[in-house]
Amino acid sequence: MSTIELKRSMFHEAVSKSPSFISGVCSFAKREFRDALSSKWFLLYTLAFTILAVGVSYLSLSGVGSHGFAGFGRTAAGLLNLIMLVVPLMALSAGAGSIAGERERGTLLYMLSQPVSRTQVLLGKYLGLGVALVCSLCIGFGVSAAVLAWRAGGVGVGSYAMLIGFTSMLALAMLSLGILISVVSRRSSVATGIALFVWLSLVFVSDLGLMASSVLFKLRVQEIFALAIVNPLQSFKMGVIVNMNASLDVLGPVGAYASQTLGDALPWILGGTLGAWIIFPLGLSILLFSRRSSV
Amino acid sequence: MSLPTVILILLVALCAPALGAYDGPERTRSTDEILSMIERAESGDTIRVPRGLYVGNLVISKPVTLDGSDGAVIDARGEGSVIDVRAQGVTVRSLTVRGSGSSVTGEPAGIRVSAPNATIEHNTIEDALFGIDLRQSSDSIVRGNRITCKDMEPGRRGDGIRLWWSHNCVIEDNTVRGSRDMVFWYSENLRISRNTVSDSRYGLHFMYSHDTVLVGNDLHSNSVGVYLMYSNRITLTDNRMRNNRGASGYGIGLKDCDDIVITNNALLANRVGVYLDNSPSSVDSTGVFESNMIAFNEIGLLATPNTHDNVFTLNAFIENEEPAATHGRGRLMLNEFSRDGSGNYWSDYAGFDLDRDGVGDVVYEPRSLFGAMLAREPNLRLFVHSPAQQAIEFTARALPELRPESTLIDHAPLSSPPSIEISLGGSSRSGLRMGGVACALILIAGACAAVLGSDHGSRSIRTGEPS
Repeated sequence: MSTIELKRSMFHEAVSKSPSFISGVCSFAKREFRDALSSKWFLLYTLAFTILAVGVSYLSLSGVGSHGFAGFGRTAAGLLNLIMLVVPLMALSAGAGSIAGERERGTLLYMLSQPVSRTQVLLGKYLGLGVALVCSLCIGFGVSAAVLAWRAGGVGVGSYAMLIGFTSMLALAMLSLGILISVVSRRSSVATGIALFVWLSLVFVSDLGLMASSVLFKLRVQEIFALAIVNPLQSFKMGVIVNMNASLDVLGPVGAYASQTLGDALPWILGGTLGAWIIFPLGLSILLFSRRSSV
Repeated sequence: MSLPTVILILLVALCAPALGAYDGPERTRSTDEILSMIERAESGDTIRVPRGLYVGNLVISKPVTLDGSDGAVIDARGEGSVIDVRAQGVTVRSLTVRGSGSSVTGEPAGIRVSAPNATIEHNTIEDALFGIDLRQSSDSIVRGNRITCKDMEPGRRGDGIRLWWSHNCVIEDNTVRGSRDMVFWYSENLRISRNTVSDSRYGLHFMYSHDTVLVGNDLHSNSVGVYLMYSNRITLTDNRMRNNRGASGYGIGLKDCDDIVITNNALLANRVGVYLDNSPSSVDSTGVFESNMIAFNEIGLLATPNTHDNVFTLNAFIENEEPAATHGRGRLMLNEFSRDGSGNYWSDYAGFDLDRDGVGDVVYEPRSLFGAMLAREPNLRLFVHSPAQQAIEFTARALPELRPESTLIDHAPLSSPPSIEISLGGSSRSGLRMGGVACALILIAGACAAVLGSDHGSRSIRTGEPS
């Protein structure tokens, strides 16, 4: 039997068992969600994100006083910085702790002895953590939306919803990366270390490196743009800005180039990059996790 | 009775009232009818144009008043200018004018005026290349017109309102959308008040037009709010420039203009609030900027390095991504940012005011390393709003030898924003809707917690029972 046929038969098996497949995933998701809610780290991150988001929203509006004009652009710019720092840290560390932690405690062995496939376990964990992350973001955004409503700014509800959507995608992408880290690490301390390193690289090192190389090598705007959107944080940032301003001219020549050449396709390209960052690390971790013979 | 017959009768019954209620023009008329009315009238008469759709072009060569308030519509069906005023002292009022030609060569307009003392008021102009075009028509009034131009790309559009060599005119309460510019060529001593220009290229554009007052105009979502070029002695007061963006998005742009006075304006959420390009250009003239609200722009004040002799006092620079920057390298040291002990309010001022006299005890000198890098390498602007930018600023604060020279010095920065009275009309409904969003988000989180957090599913796994 060729590998393709083998895969096909496996696929048919999976489909024929699909109700139990999905319910298995859901059971793990529910368990993961509950565990996340009861973990101190998670509550701490939620609290920190909420307080910081409210603080940023409040401060960005306080300067204008009674003028009744509140630039959502400024609030969003403040929130952008905060999101790009906190959300990847949250999602990466949540993902990194998941499989490696269970492996270290020995509970992974127990879970895999259940009549479920490894894919189900991993997908369940991803779903549960993903929903928990989005919930925690919703609380943060919800409370700061209440602050914005109270301060009565000229806030665009549509762009706020877009901001939440892109942030959720960023969180899911970083979670996916975190789970990949968790699958390849033996110990949870190693996984957390790698996650922190990846966070530092994505948030600071890659941007600073790209800045330096764009100056040193006199990169052209299209090269800078192509290199920048590889970083999910940059495509997140550009996605939010393009949805708010309908153009990237805020980002100087590179942004103007992207807006003019890509036009209406730009938000889709940026969203697609984020989507790829969700799918590929998750797919890779499923592949690695199901191939691994040892626990 | 068969079913089709019933349906037919029902249809007729339904349509009959609708047909009866249609009270539009009964038939299409020709502009020749208006022309013969003008020919019969004496000079100075008022002609009430009866309700109807008049097709064709109309040339007015007698000083009469044309009043279309009964519902007259003139449509040139895409041929030339719709109304061409060639006599002195003509008034065109409350007409709906549409369908000028679209070829740039003849510059066809909705209403073209080529004689002085015209009054063009309360007209609605649609689908015209140029809206209202005054050529050598001094002492005219253009008031309360609503103008939308042809739906073309911005560079191919005509101007909403254009004055050419027309002095002492009053332009007020007009609304222009989707045109190129509202532009004034070689026209002096104008009063331009309470106009709204949006979704156009330049809101108000001055070319070689001196001695003019601009009051209470609202210019938003254009490429540039007000662009003054080679025009001297112009006063801007109580205007609002919001959300003027694009590669050259400026709230106010000044190019080679002398003795400009800009007071009490609101410049909000533009790409650049104020752009100074070699202005003032003469040695003995000054630019005055007092009590303006310059907030939420990407760059508050952008100037070419040779800019000199501008005086900024009592302005509020609030939450601009960069408060002040030079176009290319250089500093703004030839301008004054404080005079007689009062400077400006800068929301990023980190000093203190111990003696509580309202003036900070430490000078304000912004020294942004990232800003200095942007001036050298514009491409790096891609990285604004990112933690990397914050990291660079932090490094510059930690290592003083990396800090660049300050772009400007304000010796008397205000410790609290000056009160600037500008009505901006924030809507309370968006606050309500935002409250709805807040509730919805918290409900979503709560629902997820309730549905997924119930111990039903998890226990079945822990106890090893199949769910």
